[in-house]
Amino acid sequence: MALYRRARSTRLLVVSLVMASLITITVDFRGGQHGPLESFGSKLELTVIGPLQSAVSKVFHPVSAFFGGLAHIGSLDSENRRLRADNQRLRTLVAENVTINRELARLRKLFDLQQSLGLKGVTASVVGESLSNFEWSVTIDKGSSSGVRSGLPVVTGEGLVGRVEQVSSNWSTVMLIIDPRSSVASRLASSGEAGLMVGRGRNTPVMDLVSPDATVVANEEVVTAGYRGGVYPPGVLVGFVSSEYARPGSLTKSILVRPAVDFSSLEFVEVITGTKKPVPAPTPSPSPIRRGKHKGKGKG
Amino acid sequence: MRRAISWAAVVVTALLLQSTVFARFELGGAKPDLVFLATIVLAFLEGPSSGALAGFVGGMAEDFLLNQPKGITALTLTLVGYSVGALRQYITTPSPLLPVGVVASASAAGIVFYGLVSFLLGQLEVGFGYLVRVAFLTGVYNAVLTPFLFPVIRRVAESSRATRVFRW
Repeated sequence: MALYRRARSTRLLVVSLVMASLITITVDFRGGQHGPLESFGSKLELTVIGPLQSAVSKVFHPVSAFFGGLAHIGSLDSENRRLRADNQRLRTLVAENVTINRELARLRKLFDLQQSLGLKGVTASVVGESLSNFEWSVTIDKGSSSGVRSGLPVVTGEGLVGRVEQVSSNWSTVMLIIDPRSSVASRLASSGEAGLMVGRGRNTPVMDLVSPDATVVANEEVVTAGYRGGVYPPGVLVGFVSSEYARPGSLTKSILVRPAVDFSSLEFVEVITGTKKPVPAPTPSPSPIRRGKHKGKGKG
Repeated sequence: MRRAISWAAVVVTALLLQSTVFARFELGGAKPDLVFLATIVLAFLEGPSSGALAGFVGGMAEDFLLNQPKGITALTLTLVGYSVGALRQYITTPSPLLPVGVVASASAAGIVFYGLVSFLLGQLEVGFGYLVRVAFLTGVYNAVLTPFLFPVIRRVAESSRATRVFRW
């Protein structure tokens, strides 16, 4: 009898827990991105997990580096050196940005243009990676107190990283451009053909909706298109053309794009603040974010 | 009360390790899932109702702290905890490899279930082949970690078992 009663109470417990889960799923699902559970969860994630992540990752860095090293063993030393160099270059690029921006502003004023592409940035370090196997994002150690807002574009010296998704006062998460939820209005650098680059997780991102007449050159640069009111500033390097193909029955061309940024080794990123001003018309202006060797090109 | 605290400690530790040390560990596209592992081991040691409860609490904590779609992990782990606890009563082999096998298969089954629920809700952004691969690899990684973590969780569970009076 006691055994029976115990089995029954177990079943009752399980049924009520399952009901509770289902109710949570429903409430969360109906609430959408701005539901009460979602905002509560993101606040909790960023205020509890963010600092803990940062603290524990400091302590456990050797351990996690060891595990991470298992995946790309052998290249760690050179990677470290490369990242240091990157960091250095990023700092100089930021300094250059200011000068270039000032030049740009002066030129624009001269031609009586009313806007300037004021690129201001906040440098942040990546303290955590996505915890789910179905999401591609990173946590960075800068938040609203440093001027980071949801939706701002994030870059490194190599190219476009993604955009800020959730923000708390000192931490934010950045959705990478390889996340399946991400799409970037982009353009082939040489022909100017526009398309939409959609992330596909671990697979190479694909640039869709390209005009079928477009001439595509292998290893050609793909840059952001930066439409007025868009998320990303124009001309930021996104990646390189890997190959093209036509989907059966599709009227447009699809291009596989190899991202310029190595997402497995992100350590420092730059959040671009100051894109709140309307982005000027998408003339193929050289972006300060592009690599150093391309920088001087279309300026004169 | 002591039980609650020690279980909470197990779950929080699992979540923390998951989000820091093991967040960077990624081989072949998958990571070990320590909250699954902790739930399965607790259910294995303590039976179906404790397993279901630990799974529910751990799953909710994971959903909210890691800001995933709320409730799906909780649902998955409730059922995983209950099933492991219930099936455990029918297995009598004394083999020391039993926990490893249970963790491997229950983790993989749990991930597949999670994927199916996400799919039904229209939130699964990856293909089924990828899902199966993640489930398989997560099962393997959790199995590899079991021999190290099982004794730890068993000690925590056993040290708190003396105060049975306060059982929920």
